[in-house]
Amino acid sequence: MVPIELVLALGAILFCIGLYGVLTRRHLVIVLVCIELMLNSVNINLVAFSSIGPFANITGQVFTLFVITLAAAEAAVGLAILIALYRNRESIDAIKQDLLRW
Amino acid sequence: MLSAFDANWSLMTPEIVLLVLALLIFTIDFMTGIKGSKPFLGRLSVVSLLITAVLVVFTNNSSGFIGEIFVVDKFAMIFKLIILVGVALVITISMHYLEKNPDVYQGEFYSLILFATLGAMIMVSSVDLITLFVGLELLSISSYCLAGFKRKSKKSSEAAIKYVVLGGVASAFILYGMSFLYGLTGTTGIITIGRELPQLYVDYPYIIMMSLLFMLVGFGFKISIVPFHMWAPDVYEGAPTPVTAFLSVVSKLAAFGLVLRVFIVAFHSTFNEWAFILAAFAAVTMIVGNFIALTQKNVKRLMAYSGIAQAGYLLVPLAATVHENATMSIIAFYGVAYVFMTLGAFAIITWVTESSGKEDLTSFKGLFYRNPYMAIVMAVFLLGLAGLPGTAGFVGKAYIFIGAIVGEMLWLAIIMFATSIVSFYYYFGIIRQMFMSEPNPNDGELKAPLGITTIVTVAVAATVILGVIPGIITSYFNSFNWFF
Repeated sequence: MVPIELVLALGAILFCIGLYGVLTRRHLVIVLVCIELMLNSVNINLVAFSSIGPFANITGQVFTLFVITLAAAEAAVGLAILIALYRNRESIDAIKQDLLRW
Repeated sequence: MLSAFDANWSLMTPEIVLLVLALLIFTIDFMTGIKGSKPFLGRLSVVSLLITAVLVVFTNNSSGFIGEIFVVDKFAMIFKLIILVGVALVITISMHYLEKNPDVYQGEFYSLILFATLGAMIMVSSVDLITLFVGLELLSISSYCLAGFKRKSKKSSEAAIKYVVLGGVASAFILYGMSFLYGLTGTTGIITIGRELPQLYVDYPYIIMMSLLFMLVGFGFKISIVPFHMWAPDVYEGAPTPVTAFLSVVSKLAAFGLVLRVFIVAFHSTFNEWAFILAAFAAVTMIVGNFIALTQKNVKRLMAYSGIAQAGYLLVPLAATVHENATMSIIAFYGVAYVFMTLGAFAIITWVTESSGKEDLTSFKGLFYRNPYMAIVMAVFLLGLAGLPGTAGFVGKAYIFIGAIVGEMLWLAIIMFATSIVSFYYYFGIIRQMFMSEPNPNDGELKAPLGITTIVTVAVAATVILGVIPGIITSYFNSFNWFF
């Protein structure tokens, strides 16, 4: 049996990688992928707690299903907005989106 | 355990009715073709919101539970009413806006606002982390679409992409915090978590604090407190003006409902640990929001920073809680005042910016000479937001101030008082434009449309009446228990 600390550490590492990617990447598709990575680290946590946690029960897996669904919805809307942005600006480089500042 | 057959689903009547009506409006939109203006959908949306509000009053009067996922109590009822009235005003503003902007696709605009409202209603009456999160995402995803609704506008798409990215990160933070809360208790019910937390805090203080902080970061994004506020001015400037009004009132108050529910019900026992954190956030928010607003030239950006500062004021009572019912009365009173003052101001801002075609403060130039009634009313809203005696804003701020002193947070009360004085300066910037400068020579008299005049009159009546005789709702707010 894998100790739960290892799985939680995996979740934490994934979360940090995702956050780092969101903060540093310039390509907006990669940024959206990094957000998915952060949400997936939550899924790992929930599934770990639900199977080998101190109070293991099925609720965590149900929560995971909701998170997956809503992450998909958010990605769909995000990509749609990305296409609208590309049509207007001919670029999806995060640095170049600077009309709105201060 | 909850069985689907035993649950009292009638408690959800307002939500179910609103969902059906929103889907109906969505369908009517398909049936009436792609092009053209559809004002009847706007009227239908207002009617469905009023129907829902009536149902909230009649069916949600007593408290009840559906398992441990959905609760109807006074807190949920009052917040739902505030939200529904706010959305009805927002839709009236949007009808004027959409008339002026025929290129914005009309039908989906209304149904998206209604779906967002549904999300907000679910948020304020859920007592389960999953339900809470689903409501939050329903509100957020609809708001992402609404922010980018002017498809052809560069600013609007940029605002939308910024909102999606930062909103997604905020959701991830909230969920990461929630996952630890679930892991330590084995349940997602907020009430059970609140019951088990004192013991858990003794066993695992650091994990509980970490989970609380992660959730606070995410919630901070949603209610736009400093230092998580940077999305707000950008999104508010780029989004269509009625959507800005929606975000700064409905979305913010619904997220506040979420914060109050989670912090008062679930984290009640660790109050001493988070009170100072919230107080510090409130102080920074009030200072930064009010001072950056001083330099703003764009009226929507100015309202964004003003909204950030208002979020700071609203956090003060929570940080200085003595008794949860008193805190809730203070916050709800300020919430009511905030809805009317902000939406009244946004109605006039929408009307003025759409007729002048620009969003600078100078578009208000000489408004008093072009339409005296609107200029005076706008001055009332702005002075109310700043907190001049005689308006609802003053009474609300006075309650918050007294509450902070009673809660032994004198320094917070002083910061609030000082920053409120600073806020007079930038609100007076608009008032000076309206009254002290002559209009441009080719700007004649400006006629206000009926819809805008109506909501502005309603809002100004509410602002003044609540400012002069606040007892009519405070005596009601003080007469019951807010949480089940």
